[in-house]
Amino acid sequence: MNRWLDRGITLLLLALLGWAGWSILHWLLVGADWSVVTTNLPLYAVGSFPADQRWRPLLWMAALITLTLLTLTGPKRGWVRRWLPLVWIAMAPLGLWLLAGGLGLLPVGTRSWGGLTLTLLLTGGSGALALPLGILLALGRRSELPVLRWSSAAYIELMRAVPLIAVLFFGQLLIPLFLPPGLEINRVLRAVVAFALFAAAYIAEDVRGGLQAIPPTQREAAAVLGLSPRQVLQLVVLPQALRVALPSLTNQAVGLLQNTSLMAILGLVELLGISRSLLANPAFIGRYLEVYLWLAAVYWLACSAMALLARHLEVQLDPARSAS
Amino acid sequence: MRQRRLLVQVGVAALLIGLLALLVNNLAVNLIRTGLGLGFGWLGRPAGFALAETALPYAPSDSYLWALTIGWLNSLKVIAAGLVLATGLGVAAGAARSSNNRLLRSLAAGYVALIRQVPLLLQLLFWYFVAFLGLPSVPIGGLIRLSNQGIQLLGLNLSVEFCAVLVGLTVFTGASIAEIVRGGINAVPRGQWEAFRSLGLGEGLGLRRIVLPQALPAILPALTSQYLNLAKNSTLAIAVGYADLYAVSDTTITQTGRAIEGFLLLLLSFLLLNLLISGGMAAFNRAVLGRLNRSR
Amino acid sequence: MTVAIRATDLVKSYSQGVRALDGVTLEVNRGEVLVVMGPSGSGKSTLIRTFNGLESLDGGALDVLGVRLDATHAERQVREIRKRVGMVFQQFNLFPHLSILDNITLAPIKVQQRAKAAAEQRAMDLLDQMGIREQAHKYPAQLSGGQQQRVAIARALALDPEVMLFDEPTSALDPERVKEVLDAMRQLAKGGMTMVVVTHELGFAREVADRVMFMDRGQVVETSDPETFFSNAREERSRRFLNQMQH
Repeated sequence: MNRWLDRGITLLLLALLGWAGWSILHWLLVGADWSVVTTNLPLYAVGSFPADQRWRPLLWMAALITLTLLTLTGPKRGWVRRWLPLVWIAMAPLGLWLLAGGLGLLPVGTRSWGGLTLTLLLTGGSGALALPLGILLALGRRSELPVLRWSSAAYIELMRAVPLIAVLFFGQLLIPLFLPPGLEINRVLRAVVAFALFAAAYIAEDVRGGLQAIPPTQREAAAVLGLSPRQVLQLVVLPQALRVALPSLTNQAVGLLQNTSLMAILGLVELLGISRSLLANPAFIGRYLEVYLWLAAVYWLACSAMALLARHLEVQLDPARSAS
Repeated sequence: MRQRRLLVQVGVAALLIGLLALLVNNLAVNLIRTGLGLGFGWLGRPAGFALAETALPYAPSDSYLWALTIGWLNSLKVIAAGLVLATGLGVAAGAARSSNNRLLRSLAAGYVALIRQVPLLLQLLFWYFVAFLGLPSVPIGGLIRLSNQGIQLLGLNLSVEFCAVLVGLTVFTGASIAEIVRGGINAVPRGQWEAFRSLGLGEGLGLRRIVLPQALPAILPALTSQYLNLAKNSTLAIAVGYADLYAVSDTTITQTGRAIEGFLLLLLSFLLLNLLISGGMAAFNRAVLGRLNRSR
Repeated sequence: MTVAIRATDLVKSYSQGVRALDGVTLEVNRGEVLVVMGPSGSGKSTLIRTFNGLESLDGGALDVLGVRLDATHAERQVREIRKRVGMVFQQFNLFPHLSILDNITLAPIKVQQRAKAAAEQRAMDLLDQMGIREQAHKYPAQLSGGQQQRVAIARALALDPEVMLFDEPTSALDPERVKEVLDAMRQLAKGGMTMVVVTHELGFAREVADRVMFMDRGQVVETSDPETFFSNAREERSRRFLNQMQH
C-alpha cells in the first residue's frame, strides 16, 4: 500500500518535473532573448560609472573575487593565510577610494555608482557599521545599569517592529530633517546609515544570544586571574559569544545583501535598480524573465559565496579542530 | 562603587537626552524652515487619490484617515492569507524533507536552497511581471478563471497584485518555515518514529499524530518570528502596486509632506500588528503546551 | 608564623533567610594546608569563594594577605587580592577558545604586563612540572579532564600566587584521573604553598593537610589535625560524616 503511494508520488513528481523541464527548454530555445543581459553586462557590474573609469570598480570586484577564491581554496597555512584577514579589512576603504576617487584618481559622484558594485558596497559598508553598533547594543541590553538596559532594549524592539522599507524610506526623508541645516549627506551614505541602524538591532539580538550561551563560570575564572571587567569581556566573553553567534550573524549578512535590493524602490541603481531601469527601456520591453533569472543567478552566487566564506571562518575559528 | 554606577547612569542618561535634544532641535529648526508644524489635523482632509483595491467603500474624496484604514485592511488581508498558506506550504515542505521518497526529499531541499538565496523583492517582481501578468485567459472547470486581469475563484475576485504579493510571501516564508519544521522534526528522538512504526501506524499518520505534536513546542517560537517577518515583508507590496498600508502611507507622505507624523502612524500600526500576531501565537502556544502537558 | 587569611564571624545569607555562612571564624597560616570538609550544602564552597571576593559578605570581615574584605569593600581590594591568590574550580573553567599555552599566559601578559616570551617560558616550565608539556598547543576540548585540571592549576600558578584555593578540584573527574591531579597538589604542598582545599578525598586530607576543618550548615563544627580528626573526631556530626564517606 505504502509502496504504491510512494511510486505514485514519484511518478507525479517526475511528470511535473518533465513538464517544467520541457517548458523551460522550449522557452530557452524559442522564446528567450538574452541580449538584454549580454549587451548590458557593464551596467549590471558598475552602473553608469564613466566608461573610461570603469576599470576602478571592476578592479575592486576582481580583487574581491580573487580574495574569495584564495580564502576558500588557497594554501591552508603560511604567510598568505596570515595576511588574509588584514587584506579583507582593507577591501572596504580600498573600494571607497576606487569608487569615490581623490588621492590621484578622478572624483566620481555617488550618483554614478551602481550595479553589483553598489550592492556590494552597501552590504559591506552597512555591515561594517552595524556589527560594532549591534555588539554595543547587545552589551547595553545585558548591562547592570537600568538606564543603559532600558534604552538599548527600547531601541532594539522598536527597530525590530518596523519593516525595513519604512526605515529606509524614512532614512532618506528624515535623516536630513534631524541634521543641522546646511549639513547634507548623500543618498548612498543615508542608505548605508539606515541599513546599519536597522541591521544593528537584529545583530544585537544574535550577539545577545551568544553572550547568554557563555556560562557565568567563564567570567568567574577570568575574574579570579585578576583581569579587569573590560578585559574579561574583551578577551574571554566576547570572542566566545561572537563565535557562538556566527551562524546567525551569517544569516544576517546574507539577509543584508538581499535587502540592499530594497533600495531599488527608493531609486538607487544598485543591481535590481539598474535592471528596473533597463526593463523600462523600449528596446528591452517585456524581457522580464531573462533579467530576473539572470539577477536571481547573480544574487544566488553572491549569497552562496558569502555563506561559504562564513562557513570557512567558522571552521577556522573552531577551537576543537585538530591543532596538529 | 555604588556612586560610580550612579554616575555612569546619569552620564548615559544625559548623553541620550542631549542627543535627543540635539535631534529634536534640528528637527524644529528644519520644520520652521519648511513651514510645516507637527500635527494630525491633515488626517481629516480629503486624500484625493484613488485606490485600486478596497475592502470597504472608498472614494478619493474620503479622508486620509479612511485611505490609511483601507490600506490597513488590505495589509491585514494579504498577511492573514499569507500566514495560512505559508504555514501549509512550510509544514508540507518541512515534512517532505524527512520523507522516505528521495525525489520528494531533494525537491523540497532544492526549493529551500533556491528561495532563501534570492531576494524577496526580486521574487515578488517575478511573480507579478512574469507569472501573473503573463497569464493567458484560461477558465479551469468553470469555477476558477485565470487571466492577467486577476483570478476569479468561486465568485471571489482576486487582483493580480494581491495574488502576486500573496504567492511571493507564501513561497518565501514557506521556505523559512520548512527549515524550522525540519529542525523541529529532527529534534524529536528517532525512537518515537520506531515506536509508532512498530505499532503499525502509517508514516503520514505517525507524522501527524506522534511526531509533529512533539516537535511543536520547539517550532512555535521560531514560527512566531517568521510570522512577524511575513507581516513586515508584506510592505514590499508597494513594488507591484498593491495598495497596502505602507503604499498608502508612502503616497500620503509624498502628498502632504508629513513624514514624521506618517512615520509615527506607521510605527504604531506595526506595533499593533505585531501585538496581534505575537498575542495570538502566545495564546496558541499556551493552548498547545497545555494540551501536551495534560496528556502526559 | 604569620597569618595568610583571617576570617572573623563571616555571615552570608541567601534569599528566604538560608544562611550559607553562619558566623565562621578561622585562621590560615602561611605555608599551611587547610582541608575543608563537610556534607554538600554545608557552606564550604561558599566560604572559600569569599576569600577572593567571588561571593560577597553580609557580615563579618576577612583579612586576606593584609587586604580587608567585608560587606562594603571596594572592587579595587578584590582585584588586589585576586592578583595574589590563585583558584582552581571543580569544572576546570579553562577558556575553550584559547590554546593551553594562551590559557596560561593570558593573565601574566595582560594583568602583570610580563613579556610574552618570558610568560611562555614560565608556562612551559609549569606544564613540565604538571607533566603535560606536550599538550601546550592543543585546545582544552582536546584534553582529558585530569589534564585540563592540571592546566587550570598551572594557569593559577603562573601568576605566582601566595595562596592557592581549591574548590573540589577532583569532583568532576573520572576516578582513574583523580590521582594525577592530587599528585600535582601534593607536590605543591611540599613546596610550601599556602593552600585551602575543599575536597572529599579523605586520603589526601589525611596525608597532606596540616589541619582539617569540618563544616555543617554554615558553621565550623570542629578543626583538628588530621590524625585526631580521622581517628578520634570530637563531634558526633563529624563522626557520622566520616562514617558515610568511608562506605
